[in-house]
Amino acid sequence: MGGLLTALNAGKTSLSVNQKSIEIIGNNISNVNTEGYSRQSAELAAYPSMNFGGFFVGQGVLVENVRRDHDVFVTNMLQEKSIEYGLQDGQTSALSELERIFPISEENLSTEINRFFDSWQELSANPSGLVERDTVIQLGELLSKSFNNTTDDLNTLKENINDSLLSKIDGVNSQIKEIAELNQRIFTIEIQGQTANSARDQRDLLAQELSYSLGVQTYYDSKGMMAVQLPGGLPLVQGNMAMEIEGVQNGADVDLVLHTGGVTRPIGLNNLGGEFEGLVHIRDVFIPSVQNDLDRLAYEIIESVNLLHGGNPTFGNPAGGPGGAGLDSSTGIDFFTPANPLPPPPASDPWKDAARNMSVAITDSNQVAAAQVPTPPETVAPGDNRNALLISNIGEDFLIDGIDNFGAYYGKLTAQIGIEANQNALSLGGAEDAMIQLQNLRDGLSGVSLDEEMISLIQYQRGFESSAKFLSTIDEMIGSLIDMKR
Amino acid sequence: MKATEGTTYRMLQSNLSRITTSLEELRIQGATGIKLTKPSDDPSSIRPVLTTRTQIMHTDRYLETMGVTLDKMESTDGHLDHVENILQRMQEITINSINSAMSQSDLDTLADEVANLKAELVDAANAQVDGKYIFSGYAETTVPFVENTAYDPALYNADDSTTWPYLYQGDPNPTELEITPGEKLEANLTGNDLFMGISNSVMQDPPIPPNLGYPSDTGRIDIFSVLVRTEEALRAGNVDDVTGAGGGLQENLANLDIAADQNRRLRSQLGNRASRVDTAMFHQEDVLIDLQQILSRYQDADAIETFNAIVQQETALEAALSITAKVSQISILDYF
Repeated sequence: MGGLLTALNAGKTSLSVNQKSIEIIGNNISNVNTEGYSRQSAELAAYPSMNFGGFFVGQGVLVENVRRDHDVFVTNMLQEKSIEYGLQDGQTSALSELERIFPISEENLSTEINRFFDSWQELSANPSGLVERDTVIQLGELLSKSFNNTTDDLNTLKENINDSLLSKIDGVNSQIKEIAELNQRIFTIEIQGQTANSARDQRDLLAQELSYSLGVQTYYDSKGMMAVQLPGGLPLVQGNMAMEIEGVQNGADVDLVLHTGGVTRPIGLNNLGGEFEGLVHIRDVFIPSVQNDLDRLAYEIIESVNLLHGGNPTFGNPAGGPGGAGLDSSTGIDFFTPANPLPPPPASDPWKDAARNMSVAITDSNQVAAAQVPTPPETVAPGDNRNALLISNIGEDFLIDGIDNFGAYYGKLTAQIGIEANQNALSLGGAEDAMIQLQNLRDGLSGVSLDEEMISLIQYQRGFESSAKFLSTIDEMIGSLIDMKR
Repeated sequence: MKATEGTTYRMLQSNLSRITTSLEELRIQGATGIKLTKPSDDPSSIRPVLTTRTQIMHTDRYLETMGVTLDKMESTDGHLDHVENILQRMQEITINSINSAMSQSDLDTLADEVANLKAELVDAANAQVDGKYIFSGYAETTVPFVENTAYDPALYNADDSTTWPYLYQGDPNPTELEITPGEKLEANLTGNDLFMGISNSVMQDPPIPPNLGYPSDTGRIDIFSVLVRTEEALRAGNVDDVTGAGGGLQENLANLDIAADQNRRLRSQLGNRASRVDTAMFHQEDVLIDLQQILSRYQDADAIETFNAIVQQETALEAALSITAKVSQISILDYF
């Protein structure tokens, strides 16, 4: 009888183990589309055998552990690649906006510049014509407006990047806090000897997302908790302590700072990776260089036109220029508002803010200096077009560093943007491909395959059926045993 | 390593999105006919495209200017033709007056005709086009030739333009227009050059004392003076006396020759310049076509190439879509 009861016990263990296995399969199937989920399986082991009259007999089966399929190598590779992917992804929309601001279609800044100098050429054919003079002033104003608007667009782009950063900071902070909480939870669970499978999955997923956003590095400390730090070493999660990132408004700029237990440290470009690095790089490095080139272009146009128009001395040309005379014999009148009148000398580059402030200084079409300065007491003759011819030729001179004329300089500027955008598109494509490959690899090692689960389902179902059959057989045997005594 | 549903659908999705993205770009190319729509399409051809566009705009402007120049030159030539006719008639009258035996009243009649011819000459010299005087140099709103109220026939001095019967109020600068890059052409003639025989460079400097005005260049003459003095000589009946009234008809006949030559020489110079402008116009029109071709090579999309690529991509898209549909039809769950 003892043997029968023991067999009954063994059957009971089989029933419950098969049930448990089917539960685990059910869990796998439910989570087939969950991101970051690792397939779980039960590790079955035989009960320790007992000595029955000289030989060992097994006592059934038990679930030793519920294990998740996990590959540390692939997980780390995924994190690494996410950093690169985040970096390129963050820059894409900003760069495509920049491409819109500096177009190369029929209507762009270079066309405006050409039209302006063309109007001077038209004026030279009819110097006394008031319509031609008005056109010159109008096209000068349109050109100035173009420069102003482009500068405004660049500033709007910077503001958008700032808004974007601010909106992402909250999400990032909550992810950091969650990792710290998970650290604590996993530690508490595993200290009791169990494995916290889904918590670990969640923590890995969060680490990957933070790599994408901030380019973080992770490592495991002595207690098995995940420590997260920014590139450059600033800590985000230590043990179960979470730090906080804040975006501080500084005038029109947004600076990132890290609060680490009472101490506030600024986060610079070399402390960032991933998406944040991409955005901050565009905002703090690329856009200012584009703005600088734009300012330089505006400055050169203003200076060269003014030198021939009014001839007043400026910071860049203290000796002044020849200048021309208007229809009313007025001389020394600037066409554009000077970018840097004397004195005092500018604090930084002489062309700072030239594009933002560019405007036409004259309103009276009689003051457009198409003629050469007459020797007094003569007045200007209405047919004198010599200065108009000179000014119209500036457009073709190589005035910027002796290498570029205005159109070519704008071409360089847009080519720079084009190269950056092109590069970004290529890198993004490459990073996307790599991510897909790695995710497929990860799925191959730790993902849920419905086919596999279905087959396992059959397996355990049959196991359950056979255990049930075994139990009913034992039941009949016990019944016959009892029937022996009537 | 296994293939799960996740891997399969991920691959299908990324491929589908890749195909549709490139299909969209190709369709935009095909619809606009331009393959350079944003800087990242082809950064290295941005500069040539912008430079070529600038050149095209300049060439258009030069063609326009040359058209204006030709118009100016043509109207000038019309008046020069008129001057030629006047001088020819003057020669006939003067020869007639010297050769045949005429009474003083006949000579007076001829003198009246000369006076009319002189008035015609003044009209031609003060001609306007579009409200501007064409022989005035830069001072296009000022009448070029006015009568010298202080004119005294006895004080006439060929070396001093202030003693001449008509004074020049205009400007000794001819209008220069740019017809090709860096090349400027004089589009008109100044009154002092044509009618008074004083070249522009002489008149641009202050007069040399003790004269208050300018002399004509050697071999050139003031045409107005010739007509006025011929009239004086006719009225006085002075044929040979150089020191007498009007300097004598013989001398004036010689001067008329010089005057006619002066007119013809400047007229042919103007004609040469006009033909230079003509050839330049043809040349620039060819240049314009070449520039359009260069621009098109950089920025236009080859229509056939684009449509072929679109067809190719659409085929790939169809294949990818049908595979996606097929994959979802086969499942282990059908067999349970």
